[in-house]
Amino acid sequence: MNSPTFNAWKLVSLSPLPQWVLVLLALGLVLGVALAAWGVRREPSRMRRVLLWTLRVGAGVAALFFLLEPGIRHLQVARMKNRVAVLVDRSASMSFPSEPGGPTRTAQVASFLEKAAPQLAALQDRFTVEMYGFDPELAPVTPASLAKEPARAGTTDLLAAVRAAAGAGQGARKLSGMLLFSDGADNQELKAGVVGRARAALADLNVPVSTFTVGQEALKDLAVEGLKVDDFAFVRNSLTVEVEIHGRGFSGREIPVVLSQEGKTVASKTVRLESSDDMKPVSFTFTPDQTGRFVYTVTVPTFPDEAVADNNTRSFTLKVIRDRVRVLLVVGRPSWDERYLRGLLRQDANVDLVSFYILRTLSDDPGVSSERELSLIPFPMEEIFDTKLDTFDVVIFQNFGHADPSLSIAEYERNLERYIHNGGAFVMIGGDSVLGEGRAMMPTLMEALPVAAAGPANPEPFKARLTPEGLRHPITAIGTGAASTEAAWGELPPIPGANLTTARPGATVLLDVPHMTADGKNAPLVAVWDYGRGRALVMATDASWYWSFAAHRDGSPSRAYDRFWGNALRWLVRDPDLTTLKVTADPPSVEPGRPVGVVVQARMADYQPAQDAQVRVELFSVASQKPVAVQTGTTGTDGVVRLEFAPPAPGPYKLLASAKKGETDLGSGEDAVAVRAVGPELSDASVRPELMEAIAKTTGGKAYKLPQDGLPDVPLLDPPVVEVGRAKDQPLWDRWYYLVALIALLGAEWFARRRFGYV
Amino acid sequence: MSSRRLTRRNLLLGTAALAPLLSRRADAFGEKSRFIPAVARHGGNWDLRMSGLRRIAWELQRRTSVEVVPDARGFQLSSPDLFEYPFLYMGGDGSFPALTDAEVANLRRYLTYGGFMLADANDGSDGDGFDASFRREMARVLPQSPLAEVPSGHVVFKSFFLLDAAPGRLLNKPQLAACMLGKRAAVLYSQNDLAGAWNRSESGDYEFDVSPGGEPQRELAVRLGINICMYALCLDYKDDAVHLPLILNKRR
Repeated sequence: MNSPTFNAWKLVSLSPLPQWVLVLLALGLVLGVALAAWGVRREPSRMRRVLLWTLRVGAGVAALFFLLEPGIRHLQVARMKNRVAVLVDRSASMSFPSEPGGPTRTAQVASFLEKAAPQLAALQDRFTVEMYGFDPELAPVTPASLAKEPARAGTTDLLAAVRAAAGAGQGARKLSGMLLFSDGADNQELKAGVVGRARAALADLNVPVSTFTVGQEALKDLAVEGLKVDDFAFVRNSLTVEVEIHGRGFSGREIPVVLSQEGKTVASKTVRLESSDDMKPVSFTFTPDQTGRFVYTVTVPTFPDEAVADNNTRSFTLKVIRDRVRVLLVVGRPSWDERYLRGLLRQDANVDLVSFYILRTLSDDPGVSSERELSLIPFPMEEIFDTKLDTFDVVIFQNFGHADPSLSIAEYERNLERYIHNGGAFVMIGGDSVLGEGRAMMPTLMEALPVAAAGPANPEPFKARLTPEGLRHPITAIGTGAASTEAAWGELPPIPGANLTTARPGATVLLDVPHMTADGKNAPLVAVWDYGRGRALVMATDASWYWSFAAHRDGSPSRAYDRFWGNALRWLVRDPDLTTLKVTADPPSVEPGRPVGVVVQARMADYQPAQDAQVRVELFSVASQKPVAVQTGTTGTDGVVRLEFAPPAPGPYKLLASAKKGETDLGSGEDAVAVRAVGPELSDASVRPELMEAIAKTTGGKAYKLPQDGLPDVPLLDPPVVEVGRAKDQPLWDRWYYLVALIALLGAEWFARRRFGYV
Repeated sequence: MSSRRLTRRNLLLGTAALAPLLSRRADAFGEKSRFIPAVARHGGNWDLRMSGLRRIAWELQRRTSVEVVPDARGFQLSSPDLFEYPFLYMGGDGSFPALTDAEVANLRRYLTYGGFMLADANDGSDGDGFDASFRREMARVLPQSPLAEVPSGHVVFKSFFLLDAAPGRLLNKPQLAACMLGKRAAVLYSQNDLAGAWNRSESGDYEFDVSPGGEPQRELAVRLGINICMYALCLDYKDDAVHLPLILNKRR
């Protein structure tokens, strides 16, 4: 029978007496010693007094020894193994080189862990060493797997990682410490540093986190960071985009920064980086001139020795919408046509109307002695046709054409033509001063219009006739469907006269004049077209007011005029609701490696959902000006289909969609999507040792930098010790010499007291 | 009440003055888009100021850029043809019988859908005569929009000329009254026989003396007439913000 192996001992009391009895007896002993001391207090000899005190104390201690019955307890014990977590950052920034031309940061960590393997193994006596990669979810890794699999995670969340590690592990084993390997490029909770709640969360872990910073701070890199821009902007309203240009290793260099819209430069600036690690804010203010969604890109040059090239551009999508439609109404002279259009525009809450009427020409004589008797103001031609022209969404000329030099716009015709070409909207309303009538021909402006003058106007009353194109067009859709629209136009009163014009090639005639022909075709009454990036509409009469006022002569209210001009304005400003095919990138900005989604909503000409429509969407690269992928699908009952493209290369893209239902063309539409070159993770290659140091300091760990020769002596909490086997007590008091010593002490005191005369 | 004798010279001058109206722009679009006052026929004396209306149209042509047909055309208030003439003049000397229901309904529709009416008490009445009949009928036509005095800051006093009163042949009431539909004055009403100050006799002379202000008051009445026509054509154009600083400066 083998005796058990004991590996620990401790001193214990083997007395069977309860603890309180022992306490009382101990107090009695102390009292006895005290009384003895009291009895010899008058002893003149100090030596005798000390001798008596010493003998009594010695006897008391000996008595206490016998009372407590001391013994040695032999024990069999074991240490509980705690955990040590080794955490390795698996975010994409760990793929950056640890130094120019060096291995990646992850490779450097893997190399270190290989090197420190013996020391980590040595820890296994007391700890279970668990090795995780975090992205930020924890996943077991080995030095070999680290070297093999590149780090890809789109974010760095150090706090989430250490929290997860504290809660992970086997069973109830406690964590004795963490070894955190990272570049410190946190872009989540610790982005702002170890402050506030993040600091409290780290302190609450009660586990020392020793940090190992990997990567050099002195990496050379230019990055476009800190993009600040709204998700949407108002057309023809200035907008500011702010970015920060972060340069490391570019001290004293001038860096050009360019803002472009789908390949076209919008603005550019140059910043000078003053120090080796400098951040310069750059703001671009520009005025979008078209509604829609567009991809904008901020770019800085890529230098050959940069650590990361992908963070030198930053793309974003901007949805440009209209606020209130800002309309400039320029009227050649007051007329009923002007009066009803003004009434309509003024009562439309969505219209911001700015108007200028020519109330008096040089040939008019108001019969006043002083201009102060008139309320007239000078016609601010330069202001409205030059400096402020681009602030208007729609410019309407209503029978405005003057040859008189003081009122002629000959000088500004090119401005107006360019305004339309560059995305503006223009309406020419006819009359006896324009479209071939009067003396002001305005040839440059006429280039931008969908019709050309073709002869003298005809005063014969006529009923406007809807063309097949007009039957489908949103401008002339004044009914709830095609039949209703056709009936509504048929009910409108005749119009007294129209300008004689011909449609230019490419123009769409929506309404024509049945009895007037030019070049063998019916003269257009209402014609539209896209000119450059803008749109133009011509109404070849000055009597559309008949659709407003005269339409009520028979008693029934008519909204035809309001609907027509309302539709026209919405079409002119490209109201998305007026398209039969609505294309929406979903989402408009795509992170690297993510698919590009697009939602297409198809409607019939009467704006009812187009079920079972065949939709084709082309992913068109703006950078290469080539299509890169095509997807097709069929719409559901709601006329909607969602398609997805495999992750394309970074850059700006257009989603060009078209749809058909049977043989019916449902039109086309487009949207823009930005596929980002880098997510937040890769936009900054910097290393943040100060964050790593702060984490270590807050948790009681130590901060180190790689490379290291081996694992340093990191602070770890000691694991607890637990009794796992039997115990054996060995009494100490039951020895004869202890009894002899007690008797000798008591006897010696008795003898001394007798000798000194105290008994 | 003729103030001037018909002379051959006056006749020639009057005829010559009409010439520009005929020679200005070609009638490419006919006359329908031009300014032509319509005149309301009612059961009383409705056509006493036809020449005055022709005259104010002529003045409008001469002094402003507005193109007119120097004519005034009478219509029954129940006529659908009224809807081709957004400017309607309703005057009279003495009371007139109640309008028919059809006339009331048509006039209400005319005013509601954008027509404008200038009412004018040719008899200068106040509480009787034309005034009583007109107020009675307007209470039927626009019961929700009673006649109220037009404030001096109203745009009608600055739509072309800067004015601060509303004289006519008479000056019984210094201001106009209006029926407002929303922010628009659908009816303007003068009790000063405004058109009486414009009226010409067949010889071309002004038909009536103007009191108490004489010829300067007539000029103001003409200017007011032009302003009213301009208001009918341009609505609140002169209330646009771009005009305000200059108008305020001129009024100082």
